[in-house]
Amino acid sequence: MNGVLIAFALVLLLPLFIATWRASLLGLSLQGFLMSWIAFHRGVEWSAAAILELVDLVLVRGIGAPVVLWLVMRQQGVRHGRPLISSNLLSWGMALALVLIAFRVADKLVPTDGEAQTWVAVSTSGLLLGLLVLATQTDAFSQMEGALRVENAIALFDLSDEPHSPVGVRLAQSLLLVATMALFRWYLVHLSREANAPAAPEAPPL
Amino acid sequence: MTSGVVPLLTSSAGPANRARLPRPAAPSALFLFAALQAGAAIAAAVALEDNASLAWGLLRADPTARLFVVLIDVIFLGIAAYVWNRARAEPALEQVVREFARMSTAFMVAANIVVLANHLMVGWIALEVTTLCAAPLIVRRGVPASRRASWRYFLFSSVGLGLVLVGFGCLARSVELSGQVPTFFIDDLSTLVNGPPTPWQRIGLALVFIGYGTKLGLAPLYSWLPETYDEAPPAVTALLAAVQFNCALVCLIRVLQIYRAGNPELVANELLVIGLASMAVSTVSVIATRNFKRLIAYASINHAGVIAIGLAIGKSASYGVLLYVVSNAFIKAILFLTAGKIKAHYGTKDTREIAGLIKDLPFSGVFLMVGTFALLGFPPFGSFVGELIILSGLVRAHQILVFVLFCGLISMTFVAMGRTVFPMIWAQPKRAVSWPRQTLLGALPKLAFLVALVVMGVYMPSAVTRVFRAVAASLGGE
Repeated sequence: MNGVLIAFALVLLLPLFIATWRASLLGLSLQGFLMSWIAFHRGVEWSAAAILELVDLVLVRGIGAPVVLWLVMRQQGVRHGRPLISSNLLSWGMALALVLIAFRVADKLVPTDGEAQTWVAVSTSGLLLGLLVLATQTDAFSQMEGALRVENAIALFDLSDEPHSPVGVRLAQSLLLVATMALFRWYLVHLSREANAPAAPEAPPL
Repeated sequence: MTSGVVPLLTSSAGPANRARLPRPAAPSALFLFAALQAGAAIAAAVALEDNASLAWGLLRADPTARLFVVLIDVIFLGIAAYVWNRARAEPALEQVVREFARMSTAFMVAANIVVLANHLMVGWIALEVTTLCAAPLIVRRGVPASRRASWRYFLFSSVGLGLVLVGFGCLARSVELSGQVPTFFIDDLSTLVNGPPTPWQRIGLALVFIGYGTKLGLAPLYSWLPETYDEAPPAVTALLAAVQFNCALVCLIRVLQIYRAGNPELVANELLVIGLASMAVSTVSVIATRNFKRLIAYASINHAGVIAIGLAIGKSASYGVLLYVVSNAFIKAILFLTAGKIKAHYGTKDTREIAGLIKDLPFSGVFLMVGTFALLGFPPFGSFVGELIILSGLVRAHQILVFVLFCGLISMTFVAMGRTVFPMIWAQPKRAVSWPRQTLLGALPKLAFLVALVVMGVYMPSAVTRVFRAVAASLGGE
């Protein structure tokens, strides 16, 4: 499992250095599929909650979220590269420093070397890098990518343990993610449309 | 046992359909729904036996749930009455009111579940649902800034609630490492958590506090709040500030009830720092702003800071925190609904453009004046008593430095608020205007909130005091 976790860490890092939105979406999709692989092979008992988790990872995170964003970007005719963080040495240095901090945190929380420690380190890296993207970017697409990175980091962290919630709660969580994606799409479409449209008359406030 | 809360939840489900009735029916249906819901909440709070378990143990009617269910449903009734009145006065709002009725109905169903939840994840999910329902309501037609504010609100909420989820994962890991089976049922967790805090527990609690703190507008993730409260329609701002705020607070209180039962000092320093930082940023912002909606929004951040400090102290301050929380729910509802009226008439939010409110809009002038006094913690309002108890709690806990900083920041906020708001109320009007008459009917919801505020400061019925004391005791109150 350590190899897959290292691959996940690379998928987290590489799109930060490649300034295209296609690479970002591919990275998100790969994160979903790598987590699906982990969920399939982690050796927990197959309960309804575990199956639901796998479906969530493949269909929502691996396929749904990146495809929805890709369709919106294509619809808007966006061709240029969109760096997730500023393309300079300082930003790249900050990203690498956050990964190092994540590994130090994991070292403190899980003192024995091994898979459990790597798991915490990679999840924490995902969380911190997602927050870095959110803190440094102002356009909606990059912020969405940052939020989805945070969501994926949480999902990866959850995978390191047996599911503790009833299946209904797990289902509700998956439905929330779908609703969140739908709302992301709604914002992405309207924010860019309003930015280019002439000012409309203001409706009376409620 | 479940019969008491069933009407509460089923009465919530119906009006979603009712909101699709022919246009004039939507505001009335919303008001009817809110009235039924508030009635059901009060009936359930009175009739249900203590700690009654509902919906397979996922919900529970403990004193905290009783207090906050009644609070949020009564405030929603006031908001629904305001919307009903606005729809009558402004026929062009029909479509907006229909959307509000639909989404706020779903919002309130989820809000009731948040407060009643006996499962940390159920509370979290319901809180996220309230966010999903509220986000589209923030958007106003023809105001692109409102969509950007809505986006920021949704983004911060998603990240905040995401951090809470990571925190829950860490807390579950902490339970697991102590050799027990993790659970998210609150009553079970209360028995599982004992012994000195582990690193997993500390990091988990820190993440949960930062996450829920984001929803409350606490530092460091507070910057969504002024923009959102400013851009959202007044009814939606009141919904966020007086209802959703309390839902997030209940989630935070639940975690404190579990983890501080055996260790009252746990995370006290963290809460003190977050509280003081929030008060400091809000004070600076109150001094700088010239937008009256933002002014109230920054004051809300200040309130969240005071609440965090009160929760940090616990013990004797717990009762004061609850008084302060309940009072502030009413104050914020009064002020944001009044702010909407003022903005609608003057067409500006710039405090320098508004003067002589007491002559131009007598009801709004009085509500702004009284609301500001209550906001600043003047007697005879509940917020005064609450703040006083929190201050005395600080002294008893020997937190003299925090006491001094608290008093200094509150004084600066008072001066800055007074300097901005009082000329709006009493100065000579800057332009001669003829306003439409303000009806008593339109002012009724705010008047009812005002009466509740005064009652809490002057005389609390013994039955209500008992509930407050029970909730305070669950927070370590003496």
